[in-house]
Amino acid sequence: MTPPPRTAAPDAGATLSREEAQLLLREAIGQSAAEQTEVLIEARRESLTRFANNEIHQNVTSLNHTLTLRARVGRRTGSASTNRLDSSGLRQLADRALAIARLSPEDPGLPEIAPPAGLPAIDAFVPATAASTPEERAAAVGPVMAEAAARDLNAAGALSTVAGAVGFANSRGVFAFQPETYSQFTCTVRSGNSSGWVDRHRRDVRALDVASLGRVAIEKAERSRNPGAIEPGSYTVVLEPNAVAELVLFLATLGLGAQAEQEGRSFMGGRMGERITGERATIADDPFDPRAFGRPFDAEGTPRQRVTLIERGVARGVVHDRRTALKAGVESTGHASPPPGTEGPLPYSLVVSAGDTPLEQLIASTERGILVTRFWYNRVVDAKRTLITGMTRDGTFVIENGQLTRGLRNLRFNESVLGVLERADAWGREAEPTVFDYVGNCVVAPALRVRDFRFTGVSPF
Amino acid sequence: MNDILERALNTAQLEGASYAEARTVDARSQLLEVKNRQVSALNESSSLGLGVRVIVDGSWGFAASAEVSVADAEACARLACRVARAGAKFRRGPVVLAPLAPAVARYQTPFKLDPFEVPLADKIALLVEATGIMEREKAVRVAQGGMQFWEERKHFASSEGARIEQRIVQSGAGLTAWAVDADDLQIRSYPNSFGGQYECNGYELVERLDLVGHAAETAATAAALLVAPVGPAGVTTIILDGSQVSLQLHESCGHPTELDRALGHEANYAGTSFLTPDQLGTLRYGSPAVNIVTDATTPRGLGSFGYDDEGVPAQKVDLVRAGRFVGYLTSRETAAMLGQTSNGTMRAESWSHIPLIRMTNVNLEPGTWTLEDLIADTDDGLLMTTNRSWSIDDRRYNFQFGTEVGVEIKQGKRGRLLKNCTYTGITPEFWGKCDAVCDAAHWEIWGTPNCGKGQPSQTMRTAQGAAPARFRGVQVGVGTGS
Repeated sequence: MTPPPRTAAPDAGATLSREEAQLLLREAIGQSAAEQTEVLIEARRESLTRFANNEIHQNVTSLNHTLTLRARVGRRTGSASTNRLDSSGLRQLADRALAIARLSPEDPGLPEIAPPAGLPAIDAFVPATAASTPEERAAAVGPVMAEAAARDLNAAGALSTVAGAVGFANSRGVFAFQPETYSQFTCTVRSGNSSGWVDRHRRDVRALDVASLGRVAIEKAERSRNPGAIEPGSYTVVLEPNAVAELVLFLATLGLGAQAEQEGRSFMGGRMGERITGERATIADDPFDPRAFGRPFDAEGTPRQRVTLIERGVARGVVHDRRTALKAGVESTGHASPPPGTEGPLPYSLVVSAGDTPLEQLIASTERGILVTRFWYNRVVDAKRTLITGMTRDGTFVIENGQLTRGLRNLRFNESVLGVLERADAWGREAEPTVFDYVGNCVVAPALRVRDFRFTGVSPF
Repeated sequence: MNDILERALNTAQLEGASYAEARTVDARSQLLEVKNRQVSALNESSSLGLGVRVIVDGSWGFAASAEVSVADAEACARLACRVARAGAKFRRGPVVLAPLAPAVARYQTPFKLDPFEVPLADKIALLVEATGIMEREKAVRVAQGGMQFWEERKHFASSEGARIEQRIVQSGAGLTAWAVDADDLQIRSYPNSFGGQYECNGYELVERLDLVGHAAETAATAAALLVAPVGPAGVTTIILDGSQVSLQLHESCGHPTELDRALGHEANYAGTSFLTPDQLGTLRYGSPAVNIVTDATTPRGLGSFGYDDEGVPAQKVDLVRAGRFVGYLTSRETAAMLGQTSNGTMRAESWSHIPLIRMTNVNLEPGTWTLEDLIADTDDGLLMTTNRSWSIDDRRYNFQFGTEVGVEIKQGKRGRLLKNCTYTGITPEFWGKCDAVCDAAHWEIWGTPNCGKGQPSQTMRTAQGAAPARFRGVQVGVGTGS
């Protein structure tokens, strides 16, 4: 019996070593009576110190691991997941996956499981993040709350650290393992009628200067006090990197994965090689960009590739898993999604190429416009047109003669993502990662200045 | 299991906890998805673990582990206490819990057919047949059917003496047709978007839905939407079907009446609320036709249970009475801040999460109209059915929703099918324009399987009961209208 990852020292250190993963995955495959077997394990310790109203109100840490086994019999496949990693749990899992496979109809589109291949390495594990303690997290956020309180402001947010590992093996001899860490500081500071926000994501918790970041949110809350209203309409906007990332993320599910293209749902459908957006827009999925929280292999054990999706406004490609690649007659790009994977392959490390203008200069060069810190509750209105609606939040400002002059009440927008990239006339120099889920869904984006951005409504605050 | 919980509580108290609770959850789920008669996803998942939440030095701490043993219970409890102590220096005052009589009880959601006992082959065959019927419609590129089932077996114990066992079984199923041409993509779902209908129920829900019997109409409507005109832009009367009213309730009443939001606890992520405590009992939320309750005892409701994850019994509580804002969803901690006792809405996604205030079943009480009478009583307007898009600001004022289907109403009669219909408004103004709600015969408890909240983010299954309702003078077509 393989000893499972232990919680004996559940507050620090790695969650799963390479050797433990190898033993565990080997045992899982050994328990399987299927013709072919694939096994994926994810282990994760997540700790988070959360504060609101200038006090710590939630403080948590948890350790979990999930092992998914896919069994194949002929052209039939079955999948099951568990967090019971003892021998009995693995046997039950293997038996259940096999039973599901035998009950399933034949799958004519079933691809071969991945062959062994050289796997690129990504340096993604920072011991200091894994060793972060509740005392250190509390001490880091304390000064932010104190400074907010001293200015009669109200701070809320969280400092979180994650240490995890992902491992994959199959019965053709593939073994892949990646330890990783992640940390985030996010903070909203409110006055009676305004708010400011900051949000940063790093592998190394020491790279989060929490006190300085907190001051960014404090300053935005103070500068946007007593916000005024502005009529809905089309305005020049300067979008900070988080706001750009919120929009670009939609491209992933609306058409940058091959399943959407093959099902006819993609905005890229039938337009490969055509210009679909502005000539300055280049977007790639690049797991090897150190800012992009990438993984070197996917949920099928295929090495991940860098894929250019949109190049200078021209549709260039989509990402594939083994199923969509087989159907398209190409090689998988290593973008299989974790189970159940109903969305098909997706780009998980989107990188929008930056420009050469500092954010301050984007603002300074705008005669009249609106600065947007972030967008909130964004949803698809029209998928084929990449039309999204959402709200501004936590720091929306009027720009007049290159200066932020006053705060604004929050605005609703209805905009096409491709249209925004088309009308972006200045591209920021500094790009920031926004992580929408630590296992992926990262977008690295610069700030943008965009003409004729369409606001359609206004909130009372 | 009881030994493990007892050890966790005992260790926490020895470590200085003034309050402790321990919860094990043994959960399993099954997901099936069929596209165009092929199984596209089929996964069974199980998860067992222990979470311990404590108050030490007036501060909360929580630790959770996938290992469930006496030794792990001790380790978890010690870590929870350490985590709590680390935060205690940064409290403005100690956590105070509203009083609660500790329950010793067992509860199980009622159902007839255990969905995990129904043969997988039968489920697959049903979805293959339904999607095969949908595929006959040429414009339908993807004919999708799905089912999801969940079971949770929870054991809860608190240092105050609560000992509760619960078994919650939930089921869901539905169809989606994606019709595609060179320029457009239209979706039609049955009986609702987000994968269909979800209930605290057994496989009898799937049988009742009759997916095969509704497949052809679902596909035909998707195809018809491709060639339908775009809905209008302007100000008009709208009638929302029950499922869309359900999501409107979820977003514009359920979330803003969560007391943790109103108190600022979620300010950094989910947001706050325009329903601040100083307005409790006085604010005009809607018209006199609007009566809204939160009711964790609603039969079949996806948000039904016996006890919440603080051990508080399921309750029915007024949120809006005759249009006036009169109540919140509360926890023991937040209720105490208002001098109240908890109305039992704290739920955690899993053993590895702390409980948060979550909607149970937030229900708009039925009115007196039939839908046909309501349409006949409307000179000019839109009937909007099944959500397609939903967005609302972080205080829950400004919203914009879109529906899969629009039908114009002219002189009291149904007219043309319309696509890409949207409407927008400000929550209290919008509910103030509600002049009619349909009767109990039109009322359904609609499940929402994907409600997000909290850091780390948690997904919860809630429900909202609703019948079709009419709203006057609403802005429509923003963003898309012709």
